[in-house]
Amino acid sequence: MTLEETIEPYREFALKAFAREATYRVDVFTNLGSLILRVYLLRQLWVALYSQNAAPAGIPLHAMLTYATVALLMSLVLEIDGTRSIREKVREGTIATDLMKPIVLPLYFFSDGIGQTLFHSLLIVPALALSLLLVHIDVPSFTTFAAFTLSFIAGYAVNFFLNFLMNVVAFWTLETFAIQLMVRWASDLLGGQLVPLDFFPGILGKIVESLPFAAIYSTPLRIYIGELPPAAWPGAIASQLAWLALFGCASTVIWRAAERRVVSQGG
Amino acid sequence: MPIIETHELRKVFRSVKRTPGALGALRTLFSREHVERVAVEGVSMSLEAGELVGYIGPNGAGKSTTIKMMTGILTPTSGDIRVAGIVPHLDRRRNARNIGVVFGQRSQLYWDLPLVESFELLRAIYNVPRERYLVNLKEFTELLEMGEFMNTPVRQLSLGQRMRGDFAAAMMHDPRIVYLDEPTIGLDVLAKEAIRTFVARINAERGTTFILTTHDLADVERLCRRIVLIDTGRIIYDGAIEVIKEQYGTHRTLVVELCDDEPDFAVDGADIESRAGTIVRLRFDRKLVKADQLIRQVTERYCVNDVSIEEPELESIIRRIYVEGYTDPSAALAAHPALPSLPASPSLPT
Repeated sequence: MTLEETIEPYREFALKAFAREATYRVDVFTNLGSLILRVYLLRQLWVALYSQNAAPAGIPLHAMLTYATVALLMSLVLEIDGTRSIREKVREGTIATDLMKPIVLPLYFFSDGIGQTLFHSLLIVPALALSLLLVHIDVPSFTTFAAFTLSFIAGYAVNFFLNFLMNVVAFWTLETFAIQLMVRWASDLLGGQLVPLDFFPGILGKIVESLPFAAIYSTPLRIYIGELPPAAWPGAIASQLAWLALFGCASTVIWRAAERRVVSQGG
Repeated sequence: MPIIETHELRKVFRSVKRTPGALGALRTLFSREHVERVAVEGVSMSLEAGELVGYIGPNGAGKSTTIKMMTGILTPTSGDIRVAGIVPHLDRRRNARNIGVVFGQRSQLYWDLPLVESFELLRAIYNVPRERYLVNLKEFTELLEMGEFMNTPVRQLSLGQRMRGDFAAAMMHDPRIVYLDEPTIGLDVLAKEAIRTFVARINAERGTTFILTTHDLADVERLCRRIVLIDTGRIIYDGAIEVIKEQYGTHRTLVVELCDDEPDFAVDGADIESRAGTIVRLRFDRKLVKADQLIRQVTERYCVNDVSIEEPELESIIRRIYVEGYTDPSAALAAHPALPSLPASPSLPT
């Protein structure tokens, strides 16, 4: 099989996911609307908090507003879960039909997620434009932005595997919604989407920063607002990649076990 | 050389024993008690390329388990299996390129997308060359009359339209073998007929091998020359439909409409199968008594408005085999020259 033939199905999956997302137009507008609302509310919240207490955790207000707004824009893409369909497929038994196809299923979920991501990435442009009407955010230098992008991609991949692991649990428990909700909540809070991890005091802050969740939001955002100096970038991105490797391996092992379970027990 | 070959294929499912109730559920969490269930017990069969075989059995007989092993998504506990020279569970993705599947109960089409886009996606999945894809698409669109709903999202299709789409989807990559699992379930007569014609035609023109599992024996009667009957995981009959029809289909039903209620109605050589008002259904074995003798007897004794004879359908023959068990024709005829009649109203194992 040629490389082109190997890639063909996955490219098509991504394109179809893109087309599918585009059919839910109402969703797109409500998403955008709720995002802008949250940008505005967070701005008000932080401005109010800062008027009481100047620069908590050493982050100036403009950096804080930048952090909060960019985190929300990132969530447009990071809240996509291409592996969510594993849950439905396992519960409804359609996973069996998928296994009868000449494809690597985890790659199918990944491609589907990429397709959705590409569509939602387009929304970042209007979302950013609208956000700028409400709040001023810092514009980083080109190198900072490049490092941020790299770190963001690594975080995206960590997020994919985290979701994948959560959803594959469905092969054993059928229902994973509770676990999903807990992990989502933990990753939003402990990953630095809601507040920068600097706000966690002392030893707690150290622990939180060493958790894999930090790789998703915190690391790219700290690069963006300049909290991490260029000298610290390679180390920060390397630690993201380490989590990525670990989660990637865990996902491979667990997927094999899930497949084994299907082929020996009939799903 | 056979295209599908299984030898002493066996599948045993092992599951954690469950105790009912909330406390039971808690116990299940910790208990490691297992129960074993034999789904397929020594199935050996061989199919030549181009055959169209009906694989028949009651629910839980092991049909789906056998098919799943042939598709490679289930590993046999023991025994051998080869599909087009490939051991399916060892090389699932390569096997997948040779096979197509249609499930009446679940669709492989993409719910949110127009039908034609599902076909496009399947083209990419199987790397079907575009020219070949267009030829197939055109032919299937005509044969299955899909033109008018080709651009409709699958979720808006009727069951009949969706099934036609599913059939085309299963054939788009020119599979050598196609498994059909209850493909006509819930369909109206017209849609059923369209699909049967399609299968017969693809089988005849392209030499595609089909395995059909269904409860609708009209599908089998219309399409298959050979049937394989399975019960509790074992094959109980494998051969031509004609043979079991000849052997087990010897009974006929004589339907008599009497002028009056005849409470003491009785005829020699036939049993009353049922009666509703003045209509009496009589069952007889054509090897023991001739129809014209029976009719003469009835008309001589009673006032009769109307008589007709019904031939047995494959369904009642197979029902009889499940009730009585199958015995080899030569041995059976020697031992029991008169086959026992069927119990009053057995329920068809479905």
